[in-house]
Parts: sequence; structure tokens; C-alpha cells
Amino acid sequence: MTNDQPIRPVAVVNLFTVLVRWLLAAVFLYLGLTKALHPVEFLKLMRQYDLTSFAPFLNFLAALLPWFEMFCGLLLLAGVAVRGTALALTLMLVMFTLVVWHRALLLQASLHIPFCAVKFDCGCGTGVEYICRKLSENILLAVLSVWLLVGRGKQFCLRYSLYRR
Amino acid sequence: MKEQLSQNAEGGRRSAAEKVLRETALVMAVGLVFSLVANQISPRGLALTRNYFPQEIGDANAATLSSAQSPSTPGKSKELQWVDGPQAIQLFHDSHLQQGRIVFVDARDEEHYLGGHVPGAYEFDPYHPEKYFPMVMPACQAAEQIVVYCHGGDCDDSKSAALLLRDVGIPNRKLFIYSGGITDWSTNHQPVETGTRNSGNLSITIQ
Repeated sequence: MTNDQPIRPVAVVNLFTVLVRWLLAAVFLYLGLTKALHPVEFLKLMRQYDLTSFAPFLNFLAALLPWFEMFCGLLLLAGVAVRGTALALTLMLVMFTLVVWHRALLLQASLHIPFCAVKFDCGCGTGVEYICRKLSENILLAVLSVWLLVGRGKQFCLRYSLYRR
Repeated sequence: MKEQLSQNAEGGRRSAAEKVLRETALVMAVGLVFSLVANQISPRGLALTRNYFPQEIGDANAATLSSAQSPSTPGKSKELQWVDGPQAIQLFHDSHLQQGRIVFVDARDEEHYLGGHVPGAYEFDPYHPEKYFPMVMPACQAAEQIVVYCHGGDCDDSKSAALLLRDVGIPNRKLFIYSGGITDWSTNHQPVETGTRNSGNLSITIQ
């Protein structure tokens, strides 16, 4: 007789989901903290996107985004409102990616260089990076967020859903 | 029977999607409040209503002093005036500097200022002006020429600092922006002072 039991695929998926959740939590806590510690630098970097000429709105975005990222990171770490948080992060990542991509296209046009040779500090909290790498990172994070959104891993969650059946 | 099950499954999916959407809305609403409070509490928080990037009147036509034009005969317009490397160095070695009639103002943040600044320059981070006004204002009011600099290159913090000083009553004719900034200063092998103002720690390269 042996104690070895086959590892069930569901258990592997659940474990993977927990790891994804904690990974995303760590990433967003780090990115948020980096920006929150240097809000003026973040504000300056946000200005490059010409999102608005209305100063209070730009201040509002630059002041709130870092803390919101950390808030989402904390929720994921604790496992609270996981799917709602994952959807919020997915939406943010899609918007960030579009804005960064658009900025990179403008830089590419003005510098006359290949797209992947464009590098700049997008204000994402990771410093100066080549655009293709940045976009790949964002897409990976978005995919992981979607995984949490559709996934089933509820292990180590304080309150997986705010709306229980 | 199958149709009934299918309808139930469809209803369940719709209900689950609604729950996620409601949860997302709640997360965003609570997150917004959390972020507002955190920004208010944080000592580094941004002032939401402040314009951190004031626009200069006549920005495109900002006056630049030619080599022949003395910095001591400033223009009277609302445009900011500029000095280049040789002019800044000349002002630094002018005897008026010791008398406080010429002052240098460093518009970079504290970390960079402590890492190396023009000897005797006043620290004035334009993003936290309230912290530096008590020290900088009397010096600027007493001075006849004020040279404001930041890193140089595409750094526009010196411009922001000059505009702030102008906004609080320092006459435009006194203000000069050193466009090359500390990078140009260091490249020209001019001395830099590390640590606090008048610390006496002089070197040639910035840390």
C-alpha cells in the first residue's frame, strides 16, 4: 500500500490561480508604491500623454492611480472581491496599454525608428523600457487578470465574492 | 426539459456576470475613496487643484540674452530671460554674489540638490514651494539677479520655479534661467557643493 495519490488537474489549476493572484498583488503593490512615493515625477510623466489640459483632472489621475493600484493589490493579496478587482485591473491595463501604444507610435513617427526601438518612461513604475517589452508585460498582466476573472481558485481568500449566493 | 436547463444555465451566467460588474463598481468606488484619503494623508500627496505646470506668457518668444548683452540690463517684458553657460559662470564669479546681489536657485528636488549644487545656491523645489519660500523669498527680494537652474536639457523645472517666483512678486527683470543647468555647469568643470547650502563640501563632479 502506498500513500502516493495522483495530483488532480483541478488542484493544479487552483494552486496556479492562487499564485497568479499573489503575483498580480505583488506587481500592483510595487508599481503603486513606486508611483505614490514620487507623485510629482509620476505627474510629470503623465503630462507627456496630453490627456487633458485641465490641470486638476491630471492631478486627480496622478494622485489617485498609484493608490488605487495598491488598493487592488491589497484586495488580491487578501483575496477579497477577486473577480471584481480582476475586472477593474483588466480595464485599467487595457486603457494603459492603448495610451502607451499611442504614445509610442507618435515617438516612432517623430524619431523615424522601428517601433520596437522606441523606448521611454511610460510612467508605469518600471522606468525607461523598450516599448515592445512594455506592451508584452502589459498584455501578460492583462491575461493573468482575465485568468482571475474567469478562474475558480478560491483558496486562501478572505472573501472571494462580495455577493454570495 | 433540456430547454429548461439551458435557460437556467443562461440565467445563472447572466446573474454571475451582473455580480462581477456590481463588484467591480463597488471596488472602484471604495478604491476611489481610499485613494483620495491616502493622497490627503500622504506627506507627498498632490494638491488636486494646483497647476503644477504654469504656462509662460509668450513662451515661444522667450528672451535670450546674447553674449553682448549684459545680464544686468534685463528686459522689461513678461517673457522669461535666459543665460547660457559662460554667462552663468560669469555671474557666479561676480563679486556681487558674495553680497547677495546675485543668487542662484536650484529647482531640483532635495535628493539631487544634496547630491551637488552650485555653491551657495538656494534649494527651491517648485513642486513643494511652501517648504522653501521662507528661505528663498528674502534672498530673492534682496537680490538684483536671480539665476534659476535645474538639470538642463529638457528639464523645465527651472522655468516652473521662475514662474512661481514671479507669481509671488519677484520682478521678472531679476529672473534668469540657466538653460544648461547643473549638467552644463558640471561639464564646464565648475565647483559643486554637496549637502546643505554653504556646507563647504566642494567638488568638481556631482554625486
